[in-house]
Amino acid sequence: MSLRVEIENWFAAFTRHVYRRKWLALFLMALFIGAFASQAPKIKFDASTEGFLREDDPTLLAYNQFRDQFGRDEMVIIALTPPQVFDLGFLEKLKALHEDLEANVPHVDEVTSLINARNTRGEGDELIVEDLIKSMPQTPEDMDRLRERVLANPIYKNLLISEDASITTVVIRSNAYSSQGAPRDELAGFDDAASAPKEKPPYLTDDENSELARAVHEVAARHRADDFPMFVAGSPVTLNEIKTSMRRDMRKFVIMAVVLIGALLFLMFRRVSGVLMPLAVVFLSLLSTVGLMAWAGVAIKTPTTILPSFLLAVCVGDAVHVLAMFYREYARSGGKEEAIVRAMGHSGLAIVMTSLTTAAGLISFATAQVAPVADLGIYASAGVMLALGYTIVLMPVMIAIFPIRPHHGESDKARQAKLDNILTAIGDYSAARPVAVTVVSLVILAVSLAVAAATAKLSHNPLLWLPKTSEARQATALVDARMKGSMSVEVILDRKRENALYDPAFLVKLETAANDLLTTHENALFVGKALSIADVTKEINKALNGNDAASYAIPADRQLVAQELLLFENSGSDDLSDFSDSQFSKARLTLKIPWLDAVKYNKFLDTLEKDFTSRFAGEATVTVTGMAPMLGRTLTAAITSSAQSYGLAALMITVMMILLIGDLRMGLLSMIPNLAPIVFVAGVMGIAGFPFDMFTMLIGSIAIGMVVDDTIHFMHNFRRYHYQYKDSRRAVHETLLSAGRAMFTTSVVLSLGFLIFIFADMGNLFNFGVLTALTILVALLADFVLAPALVILYHRKDDALEAARRAAGSPA
Amino acid sequence: MNTLRLIGTFLVCAMPLAAALPASAADDPKAREIMRQVNGRDDGDKMTARMTMTLIDRQGGERVRDIRVFAQDAGADTQRIMFFLSPPDVKDTGFLTYDFDDPAKSDDQWLYLPALRKTKRIANDDKSGSFMGSDFNYYDMTKRPLERYDFALLKEDEVRGQKVWVIQSTPRAPEVVKESGYAKSVVFVRQDNYVVARAVHWLEDGEKLRYLDATKIEKIDGVWTVTETTMTTKLGQATLHKTILRWEEVKFNQPLEADMFTVRRLEKGL
Repeated sequence: MSLRVEIENWFAAFTRHVYRRKWLALFLMALFIGAFASQAPKIKFDASTEGFLREDDPTLLAYNQFRDQFGRDEMVIIALTPPQVFDLGFLEKLKALHEDLEANVPHVDEVTSLINARNTRGEGDELIVEDLIKSMPQTPEDMDRLRERVLANPIYKNLLISEDASITTVVIRSNAYSSQGAPRDELAGFDDAASAPKEKPPYLTDDENSELARAVHEVAARHRADDFPMFVAGSPVTLNEIKTSMRRDMRKFVIMAVVLIGALLFLMFRRVSGVLMPLAVVFLSLLSTVGLMAWAGVAIKTPTTILPSFLLAVCVGDAVHVLAMFYREYARSGGKEEAIVRAMGHSGLAIVMTSLTTAAGLISFATAQVAPVADLGIYASAGVMLALGYTIVLMPVMIAIFPIRPHHGESDKARQAKLDNILTAIGDYSAARPVAVTVVSLVILAVSLAVAAATAKLSHNPLLWLPKTSEARQATALVDARMKGSMSVEVILDRKRENALYDPAFLVKLETAANDLLTTHENALFVGKALSIADVTKEINKALNGNDAASYAIPADRQLVAQELLLFENSGSDDLSDFSDSQFSKARLTLKIPWLDAVKYNKFLDTLEKDFTSRFAGEATVTVTGMAPMLGRTLTAAITSSAQSYGLAALMITVMMILLIGDLRMGLLSMIPNLAPIVFVAGVMGIAGFPFDMFTMLIGSIAIGMVVDDTIHFMHNFRRYHYQYKDSRRAVHETLLSAGRAMFTTSVVLSLGFLIFIFADMGNLFNFGVLTALTILVALLADFVLAPALVILYHRKDDALEAARRAAGSPA
Repeated sequence: MNTLRLIGTFLVCAMPLAAALPASAADDPKAREIMRQVNGRDDGDKMTARMTMTLIDRQGGERVRDIRVFAQDAGADTQRIMFFLSPPDVKDTGFLTYDFDDPAKSDDQWLYLPALRKTKRIANDDKSGSFMGSDFNYYDMTKRPLERYDFALLKEDEVRGQKVWVIQSTPRAPEVVKESGYAKSVVFVRQDNYVVARAVHWLEDGEKLRYLDATKIEKIDGVWTVTETTMTTKLGQATLHKTILRWEEVKFNQPLEADMFTVRRLEKGL
């Protein structure tokens, strides 16, 4: 207790110090906050697939290797569904669209459509490699020939034209690298120039991806017409749509959080200073946190979208506690300085402890394998601690500077008494039936656990974050259904020897493996297309042998393969670099699959890798990479991370509870009402069909750090009253009478803060908000119902002894 | 026709002036004269040489080809025949090209595949296409038709201790951009011998740049000859691909057989 008194005295002295040197304190705080806040406008948004993984994640490193060699595999797919593809009017419009895209979309590596598709054919002694539609077919015969040519080319199928020839696409591949950081003086870009940078060049940034996506939409809007319908799909535009929703949602959440908190503050204090001062503190904390992120070069990603409104809701608690105490003291004494010094002396330790437990729950994410979840852990806990610091310094400063009228209104007394009666009644009811309450609770928990285990649905699918009406979702569904896939898997076969791809046996094996994959059909997952250097070799061989369909095969002679590929290179096409490295030692096999939940990818990718590794054992090393593996890895990382952070958060908070309560067994017991709500909500998720995704899996660790505050209040007060009255039931009643209202109010405020997310455009945030709010309310219920029952059971023997002692002693 | 072209030229030149754009957009007679000297300089005839082409990809992976080259002038046109010495899989593969000075005429190319015992003519009227899978395109291998460009002298500078003129060339028509693959170029012309020591090309599609660097220039048989040159394709800070051409055993005015530059000779091999 002496330490406690010492800390309280320190807080009082510190507050007095700050109050008296208010201008100096204000100046120093302005410097500190200004330094962070000035960085805030530089904050970036990032919705990229690779942004979810840490920079040293092996899956990302493998993908970077791939990007360095073959470029970015994400592409925009514009699907056109005209009444008739082989129609002069349509083809002319297609050409205009193609040219407009080439001219006006930035960061593009290549635009491919029927207009410029590679057309390799032989004519007499001539090998012709040219654009498919060099000049528009003028006669019906020309058009028929074009149609035949297109439908006969296996490489176009499901890439540029659907199997029923009703849909054609324009495919836009973006640059792999960023064009940022280019030497300002292009003339100084020679390799020996002093300015030539030596470090690894940056990849295409998420902002550049957005520029590309926006430009594609602008061009598309110019050309779209009733007789020229089009759908823009592919991950670059989907990610951009997610980013746009993210920004819009975040702005909306901040405004709503400020309005909501302002309204609640007004209801609570009924004065302007009671609204403005806490809002100023939390808003400056938020600004500093965002500034800190910008300064560290950390972008806001989908999981960190929740950070601003989260911080506003969570951090306002500190200011509220201090202010509530201040107004009471001020009304009593009429002296501002004395009131704030006392208020801070009384609440200082409490707000430090609650801030620490909240930060502990959050910091458990810091080691998460999902990069933005780690960011959330680091910056949300930093924000909580900043808010604590700002509350301790800025509240006294503001109170010192601004005139505040003392308030003597006692009008709320009656209403408060009513609430107190209800809350204590609940506690008394449960304290009277501790066994029944505990058994029922345990049964509910067991059922929840069983349900959660049986029905839990893991998920990671960014497309589903968007509303059903979103263009990206509809376009992706169309492309998946009619063009056999919008997602890619890349298999790299590295033979480690120069010119090893010339080996006909290897090429045939590659062809067979690819063909076998095309028969894959499980759980909505199929392989719609497989493309590799084997296909290009067959294409050239056919062109060199009079376009004979029977020659669409790998030549048996190694030298012929080499010479045909050389011929192809000499024909002016650089397309070979899409299929092989420059040494012909690595072959790339690209698979097209539909956009599905990552949970469906993982099994397929696993089988794929095993199958290829055994097929090519001793011949080539196999690497499976691309967009689908990145999504799959993100899911696995999210699961591992959340398991780790649950463990870590539970451990840290249990230790804190034990230290705080000062009793090992009571500390452990107090964790039951904290963990129970998480198990219960997991069961609800299973029954109601909520997916366990990156966001809903965060709930546990976030919630535990917040709901534990109520338990701290309960246990702390209970022990004090139990010591005083030596009667558990009475102690429960007294506890809820004194702390019940505060527990109730803070929980309601917090859950309302999370319910803001139900207004999100993005489905993932909606789920997160609803479920976190539910967790907080269930935790509150657990503190009112389960916690009393547990402490009564725990003290049963003591209570019986005490009762016996009293019974024995009273007649005497 | 001539009048039309004249009017066209006038319009192209006058419009930027009328719009009061920087003078660099217009044609500069001094720069044009320098470029005329570049095209007109003696670059030798009846040449034999060994060429190694080193292709370097983004990952730094290298592939080397060893080629025997013969070239001669045929009027204003250039004829070349090349035989691959290595890698072994393509040994004896031959490549014959006729580059026509007339930009309207597409080049003739034949490739002989020994494994197939057949010669294939390659139809390729797109000069912006890659030359043998390298960073050079066919346009880089031919002389620029000066009348299709505007030139501007940007400044004088030094490259490897030699004084150069830095000249910007801007295509006069979009067709030229399409055909060459370059939206514009800046060339560094050595003042002592009119050899292009360096060049920067802005690629038509997007933000990529190509850097040509003549890293070795020697006088052989009285002819200034580039014996080592690199072409690097870059995007931002990234080097996407790089090609090094090295020329050895360069000899000019060699007694070449009369049928050296024919398909028959191509099929006969070295």
